[in-house]
Amino acid sequence: MAQYYNIDDIIMEEEIILVVFQVAANGVGLLDPSAETNSVEQGSKVELPFWLAQELHLRQAVAMNVLACFNQKNRCPYFYELGCKIAPLVGDRTIGSFLLYTFSSRYKEVLSKAHSAAFAVAPKFLTLLTKEETHLYEAARSSMAAFKKWRTGGPRFERASILGIKRKPAN
Amino acid sequence: MAGQSDPHLSLFSAAEVEFLAEDETLEIVPNMKMDALNFICGDYGPFYPQITIEVPLWLAVALKKRGKCTIRPPQWMSVEKLTQVLEAERDSPREFQPLPFHYVEISRLLFDHARDDIPDMYMVRSLIEDIRNVRFHKVETGLETISARTHAVKLKNLSAMEVNIVRPFVVRTLQAFYKHDSPQMIQHPDRMANRQPQVADRGPRRDLRRR
Repeated sequence: MAQYYNIDDIIMEEEIILVVFQVAANGVGLLDPSAETNSVEQGSKVELPFWLAQELHLRQAVAMNVLACFNQKNRCPYFYELGCKIAPLVGDRTIGSFLLYTFSSRYKEVLSKAHSAAFAVAPKFLTLLTKEETHLYEAARSSMAAFKKWRTGGPRFERASILGIKRKPAN
Repeated sequence: MAGQSDPHLSLFSAAEVEFLAEDETLEIVPNMKMDALNFICGDYGPFYPQITIEVPLWLAVALKKRGKCTIRPPQWMSVEKLTQVLEAERDSPREFQPLPFHYVEISRLLFDHARDDIPDMYMVRSLIEDIRNVRFHKVETGLETISARTHAVKLKNLSAMEVNIVRPFVVRTLQAFYKHDSPQMIQHPDRMANRQPQVADRGPRRDLRRR
């Protein structure tokens, strides 16, 4: 609940987690697409959003798997934040150092691309970055662009755009 | 004042850095006679023709625009000095040469307004560009060595505009590394002798630049 109003947090908690139900749950059959009755049996694998999975985990109703989104193939944009949330819950101690290692190696790539002004590279590369890395990249890129713009010179004072609007006098 | 342009990036805009640079003093040679100017920031003495006087850059540019003076380029802005600096920059891959803090801004302002007062203008301009590129490249190389154990990054002799460019990136990088390296994330049960609930020691202080 630390980031209740943070929009990134909210979107991030929507990520799907694979859980295994430890107890049978009645009345929530729609969570499990393969359930015949309106209930979820014990030991069935269900996909839940993270916020639900977390609450149920605290109530010892489910057991969370180290998730599919952590492998190399499908990398969600909230990779890091999700990992931070998961780490205290799951009994897997290596997540933290894995995240750190991933970040530091990706960071080098981000750095080399960030400050250079090659605009053609940008679109393909950006889709592979998580939110955090995009943040970093944008910061470097925008400050570099601002500097270049300043360097080419130009008038110190800019005319406010609203002054340029000419209105015909009403007849 | 910092961050007025964009509060999220905590960045001075380039124009703001230039504004700060205009407080640097340099010498002019007026070509008219004028009484002393009294400003809040100080008094700039009576101006006599052909007598050199030291004024801040903003005043020098204003007088130059009105055709009332000629600007003497600062000492460090000669071709010999700059060539020396460029050679030294290229020779030492980890250190920055001492340069005036606002050299980028001062040089740009002088090129824009006092073009005829600088001897060998094109040479000086290309030298300064080269120096800037070499230094920035060094900054980037140095930043690659930031790893999880870094508390702070020390870059000696970096100029105002260069600092301004890398500031948001470096700040966010350090924040991200800090977030990932907090002790509840990384637990080494076999390596740590006793578990400390406080922040663990993050290693000795390492400067990014050796002296």
